Amino acid sequence: MNASAEWEDLVSTALVGTDRRPRAGEAAGEIELLGRAAVHTLRMRAGTRPVASEPLSVAAPEEQPAVSRAAGGRLARILGGEQPRLLAEWLEVAAGRGYRLSPHLLPELLDHAVRDRSIRSHLGVLSGNRGRWLAGLNPAWSFLLEEVTVAATGSETAPEVWELGTSGDRRAHLAALRAADPAGARELLAVTWEKETPDDRAAFLEVLADRLSLDDEPFLEAALDDRRREVRHQAADLLTRLPDSRLASRMAERVARYVTVVDGRIHVTPPAACDSTMERDGIRAKPPRGTGEKSWWLQQAVARASLGVWPRLLGRPPRELVHMKIVDWGREVMAGWVRATVLQGDPEWARELFAWDPLADLLAALPPAEQEVVAADFVRRHGLDGQLIMVLGGAAAPWGPGLAKAVLQKIISVSETHPWNIGELAKLAGERIDPALCGMAERLSPEPPIQEVAALLRFRHDMLKELH
Amino acid sequence: MIERWNRDQVLALAPDASSQKAAQGVSSPGKWSGIGSAADSVWGECKGSGSKPYRACVDLSELAYRCSCPSRKFPCKHALGLLLLWSADGVPAAGAPADWVAEWLDQRRERAAKATGLAAEAAEATRAGGAGAGPADTRRAEQREQRVAAGLSDLERWLADQIRQGIAGSRRHDYWDDLAKRLVDAQAPAVAGTLSRLSSVLNGEDWPARLLSEYALLHLLCVAHRRLPAAVAASGSAVVDPGTPAGADGTGLVRRVRERVGFPVTKEEVLAGETVRDLWDVLGRRDEEQDRLIARRVWLRGRRTGRAALVLSFAMTGQALDASLVTGTTLDADLAFYPGSAPLRALVAVHHGAVSTGFPTASTVEQALDEVAAALAGDPWLDSWPVVLGPVTPAGRGPWHLAGSSGGIPLHPSTGTPWRLIAVSGGRPLTVAAEWTPRGLRPLITWDEEGQVIVL
Repeated sequence: MNASAEWEDLVSTALVGTDRRPRAGEAAGEIELLGRAAVHTLRMRAGTRPVASEPLSVAAPEEQPAVSRAAGGRLARILGGEQPRLLAEWLEVAAGRGYRLSPHLLPELLDHAVRDRSIRSHLGVLSGNRGRWLAGLNPAWSFLLEEVTVAATGSETAPEVWELGTSGDRRAHLAALRAADPAGARELLAVTWEKETPDDRAAFLEVLADRLSLDDEPFLEAALDDRRREVRHQAADLLTRLPDSRLASRMAERVARYVTVVDGRIHVTPPAACDSTMERDGIRAKPPRGTGEKSWWLQQAVARASLGVWPRLLGRPPRELVHMKIVDWGREVMAGWVRATVLQGDPEWARELFAWDPLADLLAALPPAEQEVVAADFVRRHGLDGQLIMVLGGAAAPWGPGLAKAVLQKIISVSETHPWNIGELAKLAGERIDPALCGMAERLSPEPPIQEVAALLRFRHDMLKELH
Repeated sequence: MIERWNRDQVLALAPDASSQKAAQGVSSPGKWSGIGSAADSVWGECKGSGSKPYRACVDLSELAYRCSCPSRKFPCKHALGLLLLWSADGVPAAGAPADWVAEWLDQRRERAAKATGLAAEAAEATRAGGAGAGPADTRRAEQREQRVAAGLSDLERWLADQIRQGIAGSRRHDYWDDLAKRLVDAQAPAVAGTLSRLSSVLNGEDWPARLLSEYALLHLLCVAHRRLPAAVAASGSAVVDPGTPAGADGTGLVRRVRERVGFPVTKEEVLAGETVRDLWDVLGRRDEEQDRLIARRVWLRGRRTGRAALVLSFAMTGQALDASLVTGTTLDADLAFYPGSAPLRALVAVHHGAVSTGFPTASTVEQALDEVAAALAGDPWLDSWPVVLGPVTPAGRGPWHLAGSSGGIPLHPSTGTPWRLIAVSGGRPLTVAAEWTPRGLRPLITWDEEGQVIVL
């Protein structure tokens, strides 16, 4: 009997007992068994030999520079729970600079990205070849294999990326080409368009939003007939942004039939049906729960019509239009105008509509410098409530000194009366104010909430310095 | 000046996960004032909920903490937060410690000097032999010997009964409780401890084999203890003679048996015994809780001697554990080993300071296994031993191994997939410190390509 067979025999005898399975010819078999088991146990422990084991493949060497130890340490702090809301900012900046992470941080971060999709796009660059090697070992991390692997800035991607790259890399390649040569990018996409997966088609179409022009119109018009709804919808959204597109003029013809001015009031007759041509132009037939069909169709038609049509049609500039009395259907028309303004990024309409209904999206449609002025003014006039927070969320970061001061003053004044209310505003301020203003914030007031904002700004300031 | 520890090393000092979290909450510079570091100490004042800030300071050379906060956790979140800030390079250097810090440091040094003096005296007294052992002590000692002998012979019979009746019926988690209590009464606490840990053996398909191994080793211990008088007679030395060095003449094994049964060795006795000065790498630690008692094992290895050491400390749940050894650091110290064969457990007798010397030399897989075999020869009941392996690569998949050129050693099942280790390795060989156990290796630390300590 070899050693392992004897051990098996000892175990199975011990399991049922020597009373039931006496060991042949031995008195006091149980003592003998215990003695032999002790010898076996020690022989196994002391006599362990190396076992054959399947080696792993070796990860490819890295091409990108590693983040500094200080920066890696700060990332570990954020992952450990210090200022957790800054994770995305850290990752975005580091990825934008083309850094890669120290390998020991990867498992924790990849696990994080399993739960939080929003950070995945940064990890393609940051995790480097080691990250993709790990993703090959752990199916839970396989999303990494689809992400962009090279930093977009400063590096020319090779044309073969379009043939061979991950879908993230192909998107990045298309985006880089789009920035340099809009027509070239569109033509490259047109060649493979039919063979792309529906998900990729929708994602690639999104890239065309950058440097969109009327030259793209025929391609987008064709995409209105795509098999996939997301693609059709994306194409319609892009065409809506082109006030001179055929779609915009078709939509203008439609709304001209719905709207008239009588006695200085706007009268509305909503569409009676949603026909296939309307559907092709991006109007969804089925309303969301709680909304009437006509209301839904009207709202969408207004949203997709070129904003230029209204002064022509109704004979008044936007400034007057937003204040005019609308007989019935007023809510739908206004909502449509807001949506159209956001899609078309029209600052004139945005200015007028924001004064009427301060929405974050409208603020975002203004040029950045004006956003700050308008937002600062709003902060001074408006009380601290959810709407204020939402509006500020629409102001482009980083906030300059004007908006920063207005918000910090607001925090000081509210902390005197309703100190329990300022948490969210203080957090937002710390995350959005230009971190270079941390010194200004530190000196502004010794009040704890201001010092907390200042500390957060200082944290970001140091963080960005480390990532330089 | 001491090389700054990294964040993982600091967090490894925390008594529990909630302390780690709390410490991170007070580790931002805005919470601190009057911070500084000088002469191997860090200090600062942290704003708490009260009007007076808490004063925290840490002696980095012989790790010790003080904080004016009322927390019973040790080290408290303020001391840890201060260390985190220090590890992130957020503590400015100062010419000299603040007054209150200097005062504390002086007191500590004074106390330490006094304690060393007392310990030396006590050790001297112990060495001089049995002074102060009156007739009452002798009687008590004899009584204990008798009780232990009776308890172990009960256990020996009980084990035989188990094997006769079959161990299939013992698969109940409280099966050993009564027996463990009887052995506590019989004054064999270490054996009682082994028995009460047996229930953990039941988790796993191979429980019959593992339980048989445990029973067999207990049986071996009972037999060894029964035969001690004969062994002692043969080697010609008394059973309780702390002055006898652990030799190859059998007395080492005698001492090991008595330790495994649970005869105590006093600190003075240990300090009076063999001390070894070396550069000791702190390889890692593991806390184990049982019956509200936490046992902390800190693994060390000597740079020059290659000796393995275990510093063991105990505390009730919620009370301070010894946090004086930082994972991944190297200290120049005299270690005093507990007497017996395969000496492992030790006390830090004299701390000469911290050093930084890169990472330790490693053994191959074969060398490590040989070392474990030699240790088992001196102590058959040994169930863990620190090793530094290299160059090794995580390999195997499914059951993971640490593999050298000729094969690998499996990892402990509780390790799962060692992702952090795998990530650092990238499929390339590295140096890994690990705890050997009969069921496999538990990885402790490794070093990345920049030589940074990575706590696993």
